[in-house]
Amino acid sequence: MKILVPVKQVEILDEDFDVQDDGRSIDPDCIEFELNEWDDYSWETALQLMEKHEGTVEAVPMTVGDESADDGLRKCLAKGGERAIRVWDDSVAGSDPIAIARLIAAAAKKEDAQLVLAGTQSTDQAHGQTGIAVAALLGWPHVAVVSALDYSAADGKLTVRRELEGGVEEEIEVALPAVLTIQLGINEPRYASLRGIKQAKTKTVDLLSPADLGVSTDQLGETGSAARVRRMYIPERSKAELITGTPPEQVKRLIEIVNELKGA
Amino acid sequence: MDSKYATLFEPIKIGPKTLKNRFYQVPHCIGAGSDKPGFQAAHRSMKAEGGWGGINTEYCSIHPESDDTNRVSARIWDEGDVRNLKAMTDEVHKYGALVGVELWYGGPHAPCLESRQTPRGPSQYASDFETQSYCKEMDLDDIKMVQQFYVDAALRARDAGFDIVYVYGAHAYLPLQFLSPFYNKRTDGYGGSLENRARFWLETLEKVRGAVGSDCAIATRFAVDSLSGQEGIQVEDDGMRFVELADPLVDVWDVNVGVIAEWGEDAGPSRFHRMGHQLPWQRFIKLVSKKPVLGVGRFTDPEKMVEVIRAGQLDIIGAARPSIADPFLPNKIKEGRVDDIRTCIGCNVCISRWEIGGPPMVCTQNATAGEEYRRGWHPEKFEPKKSDDTILVVGAGPSGSECARVLMERGYTVHLVDQADKIGGYVNNVASLPGLGEWGYHRDYRETQLNKLVKKNRDSQIALGAKPLDVDGILGYGADKVVIATGAHWNRDGNSALTHAPIPGINADLPYMVTPEQIFAGSKPIGKRVLILNADPYYMAPSLAHKLAEAGHEVKVATGVDLGRYMHFTLEYPNIRRLFNELNIEIISDVWASRAEEGRIELYDVWGDGHKIQFNGVGQSPRTENRTHKWHEFDTLVLVTGRSSNVSLFRGIKERQSEWASNDIKGVYLIGDALAPKLIADATFDGHRIAREIEEANPQYPQPYRREVAVWGVAHMPGATSEIRYRL
Repeated sequence: MKILVPVKQVEILDEDFDVQDDGRSIDPDCIEFELNEWDDYSWETALQLMEKHEGTVEAVPMTVGDESADDGLRKCLAKGGERAIRVWDDSVAGSDPIAIARLIAAAAKKEDAQLVLAGTQSTDQAHGQTGIAVAALLGWPHVAVVSALDYSAADGKLTVRRELEGGVEEEIEVALPAVLTIQLGINEPRYASLRGIKQAKTKTVDLLSPADLGVSTDQLGETGSAARVRRMYIPERSKAELITGTPPEQVKRLIEIVNELKGA
Repeated sequence: MDSKYATLFEPIKIGPKTLKNRFYQVPHCIGAGSDKPGFQAAHRSMKAEGGWGGINTEYCSIHPESDDTNRVSARIWDEGDVRNLKAMTDEVHKYGALVGVELWYGGPHAPCLESRQTPRGPSQYASDFETQSYCKEMDLDDIKMVQQFYVDAALRARDAGFDIVYVYGAHAYLPLQFLSPFYNKRTDGYGGSLENRARFWLETLEKVRGAVGSDCAIATRFAVDSLSGQEGIQVEDDGMRFVELADPLVDVWDVNVGVIAEWGEDAGPSRFHRMGHQLPWQRFIKLVSKKPVLGVGRFTDPEKMVEVIRAGQLDIIGAARPSIADPFLPNKIKEGRVDDIRTCIGCNVCISRWEIGGPPMVCTQNATAGEEYRRGWHPEKFEPKKSDDTILVVGAGPSGSECARVLMERGYTVHLVDQADKIGGYVNNVASLPGLGEWGYHRDYRETQLNKLVKKNRDSQIALGAKPLDVDGILGYGADKVVIATGAHWNRDGNSALTHAPIPGINADLPYMVTPEQIFAGSKPIGKRVLILNADPYYMAPSLAHKLAEAGHEVKVATGVDLGRYMHFTLEYPNIRRLFNELNIEIISDVWASRAEEGRIELYDVWGDGHKIQFNGVGQSPRTENRTHKWHEFDTLVLVTGRSSNVSLFRGIKERQSEWASNDIKGVYLIGDALAPKLIADATFDGHRIAREIEEANPQYPQPYRREVAVWGVAHMPGATSEIRYRL
């Protein structure tokens, strides 16, 4: 069984940041990139399956992104796995989660993967759509927000658990091929060793273009996306005020504030 | 610069000089004096580089009659001292800071162990600070002579390049001895009324001002309240009235509280005092003085500094300890890098070295303090790495986290690994003890810096909450060098410095016996009656006694060593003993344990065997038998008997040294408590030191440092000789 694990380099904002002049994005100087937190857990899930079913399960991390996204793939490979896939050309820029999902779904087919383990969401955009969209595009069953997982190689089935509201857990049996989105806390992601990091530098990252995957450019970028960012802004913050003085003074100020809020 | 801190960077005029900002390193000891000019010059100028507007020597003796041996003061007795101190003033001036000297005459507080001279004072008394030291009561000739000592010293200070000359009267040194009725019992014109008691100090200021006042700013350090009620100086009485009298003679006031015999109320340890703890007294001075006023209070927070100045309590922020922990505190505030400040934790380990008498100062937070000259360590700048070696540091306590930080600063790829979820190791436990919360700044600084540094190198990693590494894990880790910083643990079997052997019946696996770690972990219930068995000379037993007594337990401490011995040196002792009295904690001194059972322990007087020694043959004690053994009851026995390094991992790796090369491991090193249990300051130093020297052939052992010693054949005084000559 081959597991495809789509991962993403997420944007981490500096303490102080600016919205760019186009009003639709953050100034890149205020951004650092790191691997999405959920993807640590989905990759660990894949590694554990690979270790438990040694020789029969292969896990491959993939990402959609430019050259800088290789860092995230190498971080995965430092912990295990032999190769990774990165998909990119300029036509991909500006894609929404659905357009990204087209590339992941195409990669899953090309790789002949039976299982896609995505993170439940990304820390920067938090759409929570990409993994589920991949399932829809492939026509595979999907389970979202998975908090435990067991794979039986004999009958090719997965038994997974999801946490519901109020402490209720749901157990689901799902047949392969399938897409799961993995929740934080499903496992304890390992740390890479220095040896792993050194070895990861020499492992293969296959660079594929959308054309290699048979996805046409009109399915990608802003033209291929149903959603686009109209405006990005910092919401106005209400102010806190420390009311000081004698109790009568404090009451006076309090009444003023109430009246201000009432619009009186 | 953040405009809300602009106040701190406004220049201020003091006499004929201008201080460029409001950051002022008050006189404080470092162990350099005038005999280690390189140490003195490098340590002080580092702070000038870091932005302090004013820098001082430590207290500086004006004459051999004020000799504080073995404690290290500066001295300005002769031309040789001038030459050595000029090294400091020249270096500090390079950075545009003013440099001051605190002219000091100690009276009987200075025991003159080297000079063998007899100190003089306003009346004859035995020092309440120093052992076996009396002064001679001054007659009028003596007064003139000693005042001339100040004048001569001031002239030498001017020649040495000092901008600010102090007449030092705080900490109950000579001028305050005249002012305070606790010391001054005279009935002539120098005793009795305030005007009379103030006369010596005022005349001295006038003479010093007359001699150097046009070239130098005149400062005086004044303890405005002795904290002893009517016995001494009270700020709203003699304190303010003296300031009014002396104000025309002074260009800047440096004010604090307390006396040298209990100067922990001035240099307040964080255990008992918060930032700005002297302000309730200091604030009175600006009400009566027209001159700039400065004072200390372990100010580390720029918001508080601004508040203090805006509120008109002080004009200038004085600091000793915060300037040691972070010589670059002013520049970091100026550059908006407040989170990079290495905040003083108020442990007073810096002070402890002066109190011990002799050794150079060390700092728990800043491992480079005192190492500027002799090891060439800059607190903010690091030698770039000299190889592409990758380094695994096992343990993120004080030693390991400091080691990893410095290695990362140097550009190395570092993996810092710890089972705990948090950086800090042992400090996380210590900082949970009563009053020691601020010790957590040690962890906070390293945590902040490591989290910043790790982002600069994709291959570096901080692995917290990690699976414990075993020997195979380390061998296969892929690191070129491995640093083991696995810390230490409290002994579980009663082993101590006193007997170097387990005590029968003591075993921390038993439900009614606990180690400090077990208390921190909360893993065992603690009974009503607690007996702490102590052979540790520092804070652990007193802190646990405090913690448990406050929680409602009946606490006794049976101690085989001086309880809290080291806390005398950190100035914590007087108040911890007062606290013991308040909490009804009983101390059983000079005892040790022979055996223990459930609910009771047998203690004996450590001096209970015979005082005469004689040879009684092999197997026979040379003294008569100790028959002082008595049983004492407890519900829970707390074991603070001693510590042992956690070395099993290191030993395991060492046993497989033959496999290092095949695993590409060049070396495995041991630091901090894992090497030998030590002060947090020394564990931090270990980590820092090995990180600075990691490329050496064997970084386990330190490189030699530059020593400043008298060189045979070179005379101290210009034009003098070093030849051996007898008066025959």
